[in-house]
Amino acid sequence: MTTRAEFLDRIRAQVRRAPGRFQAASARRPRHAAAEAETIRRELAERWPETLEAFRREFEGVAGVFHRVASVDMVPAVVAGIARERQARELVTWHPTALGADLAPALGARGLDVHSMPAAAPAGSAERERLRTIAARADLGLTGVDLAVAETGTLVLVSGVGRPRSTSLLPPCHVAVFDRTALVESLRQVGVFLEAWHGDGRAPAGGASINFITGPSRTADIELTLTRGVHGPKEVHAIFVEQPIRG
Amino acid sequence: MTGRSASLMVTCLGDLFFPEVGVSIVRLLRRLGVAVDVPADQTCCGLPLFNSGYHADAAGVARRTVELFGDSEHVVVPSGSCAWMVKHEYPGLLADTTLARAAVELAARTHELSQVLVRVLGVTEFTSAVRGRVTYHDSCHLLRGLHESESPRTLLSNLEGAELVPLPGADECCGFGGSFAVRLPEVSSKILAKKLANVESTGADCLVACDAGCLMQMGGGLTRAKSRVRALHLAELLDGGR
Amino acid sequence: MSDAELATPFRQRAGSAMKDAFLQEALTIATTKFIGLRREAFASFPEGEALRDQARAIKEATLQRLDQHLETLIGNVERLGGHVHYAETSAEARSIIVDIAKRTGARMAVKSKSMATEEIHLNEALEAAGVTPVETDLGEYIIQLAHERPSHIIAPAIHKTKGQVAELFTRELKRPAEPDPEALTLIARGELREKFLQADLGISGANFAVAETGTVVLVTNEGNGRMVTSMPRVHVAVMGVEKVVPSFTDLMVFLAILAKSATGQKLSVYTSMVQGPRRAGELEGPDEFHLVLLDGGRIAQIDGPLREALSCLRCGACLNVCPVYRQIGGHAYGYTYPGPIGILLTAMLEGAPAVRDLAHASSLCGACADACPVRIDIPHMLIELRREVDDRKIAPWSERVAFKLLAGLLRRPWLYRLAARAGRIAQTPFARSGRIGRLPLVLGEWTRTRDLPPVAPRTFQERWATDRDLRA
Repeated sequence: MTTRAEFLDRIRAQVRRAPGRFQAASARRPRHAAAEAETIRRELAERWPETLEAFRREFEGVAGVFHRVASVDMVPAVVAGIARERQARELVTWHPTALGADLAPALGARGLDVHSMPAAAPAGSAERERLRTIAARADLGLTGVDLAVAETGTLVLVSGVGRPRSTSLLPPCHVAVFDRTALVESLRQVGVFLEAWHGDGRAPAGGASINFITGPSRTADIELTLTRGVHGPKEVHAIFVEQPIRG
Repeated sequence: MTGRSASLMVTCLGDLFFPEVGVSIVRLLRRLGVAVDVPADQTCCGLPLFNSGYHADAAGVARRTVELFGDSEHVVVPSGSCAWMVKHEYPGLLADTTLARAAVELAARTHELSQVLVRVLGVTEFTSAVRGRVTYHDSCHLLRGLHESESPRTLLSNLEGAELVPLPGADECCGFGGSFAVRLPEVSSKILAKKLANVESTGADCLVACDAGCLMQMGGGLTRAKSRVRALHLAELLDGGR
Repeated sequence: MSDAELATPFRQRAGSAMKDAFLQEALTIATTKFIGLRREAFASFPEGEALRDQARAIKEATLQRLDQHLETLIGNVERLGGHVHYAETSAEARSIIVDIAKRTGARMAVKSKSMATEEIHLNEALEAAGVTPVETDLGEYIIQLAHERPSHIIAPAIHKTKGQVAELFTRELKRPAEPDPEALTLIARGELREKFLQADLGISGANFAVAETGTVVLVTNEGNGRMVTSMPRVHVAVMGVEKVVPSFTDLMVFLAILAKSATGQKLSVYTSMVQGPRRAGELEGPDEFHLVLLDGGRIAQIDGPLREALSCLRCGACLNVCPVYRQIGGHAYGYTYPGPIGILLTAMLEGAPAVRDLAHASSLCGACADACPVRIDIPHMLIELRREVDDRKIAPWSERVAFKLLAGLLRRPWLYRLAARAGRIAQTPFARSGRIGRLPLVLGEWTRTRDLPPVAPRTFQERWATDRDLRA
């Protein structure tokens, strides 16, 4: 078995022997990522309508379905509408602390079967199994959004407590709720946030998985014919809430 | 071009198979007031040896060439691939020899024909030797090696008596590739067939290129198919008289 | 590629591929489409050129400190609770993964698309150890059922028609399948959903690994990458050492150009970042995370002629524009990685003798270098490989003799002139109305499909020497 020392020593020896091909540098990282992220937030707060419009265009361009409501208490009606169109009954959702609002009662009142993901990790694997079965059975998964990227129409979701990966992966329909505070313009800005989260900041939920989601799951592996809903969701909806969710 | 004189690097394929191209270049340059000389005892730039990996031998041929053209103020080359060889590979091949500096200097003084006419001499208007529609194929070394796609098109679109029509897939290889054409002749021929189908689709009377290798490949395919399309070198097409 | 197939000269394999009508049509449609998509994506992306330069520079800079970046990566993966393993060879990598599977009691492994796992021939080893590997990328799933290898780096089943896939599903899954891509995809979704949820082990590759944070990055479209790295209790990622990038800021440069180069998308549907096993408080995620760092001939090239090939992002752009690949498809190349970059990677992994023929499977047109997002000069390295084949006398002696003669001729102008005169005489029986229709031996390879111009009655230099009006 090759040891770490042996492996790295071989690489080191090669690197020492080889002259660089040309002057080259890695990308320049933000000096104070958290501060820069803050600045981005502040600047974008002034022009969020343009950023939102750009996001909508790109999001629809990758077959996302965009919705807009004035306040978070109007979200359940939209979700119920989406569910009705798909004859969906069962729904899994992030825990209210992760979503920023408790929508379960209103959704339940509209005849939907709602399973909120727990705030704490279950003690045993049996409980984990049960929750996963529910997620696999659900017709619709409701999540929040950590970053909504206008350049590409991408939703960035960090996993963690109360916000498992399966909610945006297993059900065939994914509905994501966000407000202006999640909007960023570009991939470059996303990079700043990623640096900030891992440097002096902390990721929104500190889970082990960060997912960039750009539209519904797709493939063109058979004769280059585009089909949606391969392993991940077949539909992705984004509901923009004009009034910031967390007040 | 100070002093208005240039040396012609005729190239092996040009010398042996397409001497009329050299003749046209001499006439064209003379008409523009450029004194042309042809250093004696030319053979080849060495590209066939280089491409097949025989670099020591290619370097030997490169040495000859550098010495032969040592006194030339400007060197004009009818083929993009040979011009590329001199400009791009000679300095590296001769880097550890006494001719290192001379090779770099030669590279700077060497240009493919269309570049000489348009970029160096600033002349773009000629009379076509063939009337009718012409279509242009970008040879790979000229296009991607020397980053030249404009000069030939400038000349062809200003060519009196000829109408330039675009060639679909003009930037796609013709399948020559030097020894590739006989090492993998089936693949080379299929690539050629695609190119010729594109050529026929233009309805052109004449196919133009700036490389003898491409012209051998495409011209050979056209005559084998008894096509009415003629394959000509740019120099021949521009040599329409006054 | 079986030994029997490798014994067939490349030229013959290429010939068979060109006679396969299905393959020809599939290749034409697919490569043309990919070329168009890539062109459109970059046409509306003016920053693209600068980002390509930057990406190339980051790869070069990373190589210059590869040991340090890997050390940082390893430290961070371990800090997050992951395990790192070191595989010098394919055999070692297989053995590491099989050991993990055995130790964790895995009976079934789901795999997301990974060329690295194809390279090390992992599936056979897993099967031999009693672990059932299930490919979950639709294209890989198809070829797994068909017992074939991938024919394109990003679209492995590009050579199959929907009719062929329907027949395959009907036969292997024992259920009727319509030759309709959407219906077939739905079948695969159903079959594989079960596997994702039941599998003990998830195996993936890695498009990138961020050293600064210990993050492994997967770029996918289907969602299988997310499944494989979240559902099973053990996740193993296999990664070539050259995939490490220093930071997230560097990563974003690559993400901005990778999908555009591969399929013309701004981003693939899923970019999944995995940072160790499940954390405290998380509901889902593997108990164990393993990163297998793979050498497989890469390390030797840090100071080797194929160093630039280490920058490859495995996007497939070079395949789509290659006039040779477009005619013969991936299988004819005979190894895991096809196309222009595939020849270089094969040389890296198997040595120069393995590419004795493949190094010449190129007209050196340069379309590959043009399309490469990190501007790898593939033709230059193909010529270097040819040189190595010549220097080590692997090239056939008849060829070496022929080129020696040519070299001698080109250095002696009197011999060159003599050869021209000899050619003129020799061609007389063959030349007809100004062109040559048929020649023996190697030149017959040309004349089978093309005419050859005859050696001119007087060469240019002969005319220059004697025609006064030419000189005047």
